[in-house]
Amino acid sequence: MATAEEHKNNGIGKDVAIYVCLLALAGLQFVIAYQHIDASQMFSRMLAVAFVEAVLAAMFFMHLWSEKRGFLLFVAIFSIFVLLTLQYGWTDSFRMVSGAPFSK
Amino acid sequence: MHDMSTHAVQHHAPPTSFIRKHVFSLDHKVIGKQYYALALIAALAGMGLSWLMRIHLGWTNAAIPGLQLLSKNGAPGGVMTPEYYLQLMTMHGTIMVFFVLTTAPFAAFGNFFLPIQVGAEDMPFPHFNMMSFWVTFVAFVVLMASFFVGDGPTLGGWTQYAPLNAVGAVAGPGQGLGVVLWATSIALFCVGQLLGALNFIPTTLDLRVKGMSLMRLPLSAWAWFITSCMGLTAFAVLMPACILVILDHVAGTSFFVPSNTVINDQLLPHSGGSTLLWQHLFWFFGHPEVYIAIVPGIGIVSHILVTNMRRPMLSHRVLIYSMGALAVLSYMVYGHHMFVSGMNPISSLAFSFPTLVITIPSTIVVLIWVFSLYGSKLRINSASLFALGFISMFVSGGVSGFFLAQPSIDIMLHATYFVVGHFHMVMGVAAMFGIFGGTYFWFPKMAGRMMNETLGKIHFWLSFVGTYCIFMPFHYLGMAGNVRRYSTFVDDFLQPLIPLHRFITVAALLTGAAQLIFVYNLIHSRFWGKLAPDNPWDATSLEWSTATPPPFDNFGGQHPVVYHDPYQYGVQSSTGDYVMQASPEQVKTEHEEK
Amino acid sequence: MSQADLTMEAQTTDLTIGPAFSFPTKKLAIWLFIIADTMTFAACLVAYGFLRNGTPDWPRPFHSITNVALMTFILLSSSLTMLIGLRSAKAGDKAGAFRWTMITAALGIVFALLHVREWLALINEGMTLFKNPWGTGLFGASFFSITGLHLTHVTCGVIALLVVGVRYQGGRYNADDIEILGLYWHFVDLVWMFVVPLVYLLNLAH
Repeated sequence: MATAEEHKNNGIGKDVAIYVCLLALAGLQFVIAYQHIDASQMFSRMLAVAFVEAVLAAMFFMHLWSEKRGFLLFVAIFSIFVLLTLQYGWTDSFRMVSGAPFSK
Repeated sequence: MHDMSTHAVQHHAPPTSFIRKHVFSLDHKVIGKQYYALALIAALAGMGLSWLMRIHLGWTNAAIPGLQLLSKNGAPGGVMTPEYYLQLMTMHGTIMVFFVLTTAPFAAFGNFFLPIQVGAEDMPFPHFNMMSFWVTFVAFVVLMASFFVGDGPTLGGWTQYAPLNAVGAVAGPGQGLGVVLWATSIALFCVGQLLGALNFIPTTLDLRVKGMSLMRLPLSAWAWFITSCMGLTAFAVLMPACILVILDHVAGTSFFVPSNTVINDQLLPHSGGSTLLWQHLFWFFGHPEVYIAIVPGIGIVSHILVTNMRRPMLSHRVLIYSMGALAVLSYMVYGHHMFVSGMNPISSLAFSFPTLVITIPSTIVVLIWVFSLYGSKLRINSASLFALGFISMFVSGGVSGFFLAQPSIDIMLHATYFVVGHFHMVMGVAAMFGIFGGTYFWFPKMAGRMMNETLGKIHFWLSFVGTYCIFMPFHYLGMAGNVRRYSTFVDDFLQPLIPLHRFITVAALLTGAAQLIFVYNLIHSRFWGKLAPDNPWDATSLEWSTATPPPFDNFGGQHPVVYHDPYQYGVQSSTGDYVMQASPEQVKTEHEEK
Repeated sequence: MSQADLTMEAQTTDLTIGPAFSFPTKKLAIWLFIIADTMTFAACLVAYGFLRNGTPDWPRPFHSITNVALMTFILLSSSLTMLIGLRSAKAGDKAGAFRWTMITAALGIVFALLHVREWLALINEGMTLFKNPWGTGLFGASFFSITGLHLTHVTCGVIALLVVGVRYQGGRYNADDIEILGLYWHFVDLVWMFVVPLVYLLNLAH
């Protein structure tokens, strides 16, 4: 495929750099796990780091960054939109514990 | 470049053996017909079930001769038990929603016509396509098998609400093995539709011939494309949900069963799960599924109307954008199915607003149809009649959606026949009318023969009037407080409504019988109909510029080139008042996409 | 040989509009599959989070992070070897591409074996799909189903790596196929980056 050669061909160095970044971020997850913070805070920090890892992997390991911009937008908008709409249910999860907004 | 071009030629030799030609065929046209046949069988089965249910609702104690052969315990002496009524209802819903409304307008017509409409020889992955059909077929067989094993099919409704779907046989007949078969069938169905979507989207994006820009795609092709984008993600969520249900049954997990659940005086061993979790996962699929059923209908109906009114739609682009908006919004409104399920009332607000917003693109679609029709010299034939019928059903069923979108009103109406009438009209019958319209319109191309127009028109009028006779009273019943899913109304305040139920039953039996005219027309025309010309409707899109029926590679070894918009009607050209997409002729047109 | 390749051929002879995103149709299809698979994993993870959040006595049984850290390291490294294999394939170094694909498959096998070892250890401690010694039975259910789903993906990926690698060596597949397989393999890696913190680290005993 002609465009495959058009990739910004920075050689193996870039791959290794991303790999090291991902290893560092994965290590950061383990550090967060041993912090003495409450679960919700730990959850949001971990999710943030995982999201950064995912973006790095998708953009550079999966070469999304060097594809056509239209394709990048198609994948990003499509998947982030459907992922967000999957999150409606959480209010009911909290009600399993607290019963709010109704009293117990 | 790679060595792929050397392989390319021998692949497209048409198969010669019977099995490869008609059974395990890689040809998208054969697969489309197989899907159509499956949908037809499923529709007849689903209709038969609705007959049985209606007879039971009208005449509760009447024995239906032969029913005891189907289920000895479910219908002793031919009289249906309440449990068996629910089992039939569940199967009616499941068969109709999954195996008719999803397969016929999307998989059947889409498979046959999407590649031709974009000018391709086939779908990009014919093996996936073949697997898609056969997995769906196995799913159907697994579902139907539940009639004949154990104590029959599941009785939980097509939505299979938790915890009844997860607790096992203690919850009633069919709740053990029946649910496992149901969930297996639906999980398989999801796989089949995923494989379908993996073919549809690349077909639309990558296989278009020269000149076929996205805006030059016919509206039906756009509808299938949008639908496959929805199917790609919606079915991917239902599949794991079904697998979790199966785990709850066979592995003793309790994803969907809360602690301390008592059913039939038995304390269940499960603990910790959540019933609402199932509903969230199910309806995340369920609402896009509604649009998976109806958007192809919108596309097919637009395609038929624009051909028969001999002038372009008021706005091609706005119609496409509206279908896209429906698809986007369908992911944001699913909770309106859960207003009465004990969902957090705050979420009800969040779901109510986009539900009301979704009426905007729907209304735009209808207005474009109506204003395009206004003053046009519509050619009246079976296809265009069913297209008009679609609009009628879509509006009549859609208007009640305004009411149901508001939680305060929905709480009163949700568990009544009002909602049953609403979704049967706007999703069920409307989509069916889309299928019928598409059949009358495309049958000449699919089978090479014309259908009988007189029978088609009779079929339309009987179905149209019959449908209103069946489903309009549902709204009245609902407002009178007639609860849905009850098998009988003999002993309570609903007794005065029984005459109305009997009227509906008679209307349903007659309307159902009218469908046999269609089946007769279909089979008779298939073998003895008048031979069809290549372009019987003076239509413009690519499927009409190839031979009837299309050759194995669709265009006889050639690639067409597209020069015009899909719907250039009302122009002066050598062929009359239209110019075909593949015709190089230059004509004076009002507007031309690039 | 599929229709996707025919498209490529048609494109070179200028008969079709050509792939919308200027890459082979097969690559578009694997991306679409990845989007769908994202939703499958997301549904499982949301279900797990929904239940975990709503259950006060959620167990936190993991004492050691050694195994999961090792697994993460191996899977991430296999992504790197996959990339090296792809670069070799694009550069025309067939032997190198084959070698690195096989190394990737080997790393995948090691990952799967470590995973199975961990499963067996947990099962020995008394954890099943419906009960465990530490708290709600949902823990085992969601742990085994989410990691099981991921392990299934790894297993399929290893099989695909072996098949594509051997057939690439035999000349049936080309660099595009390695790239497409790589996309899948990186996706499996990407999902693991969510599974580790959410399923393992949040349940770490303090």
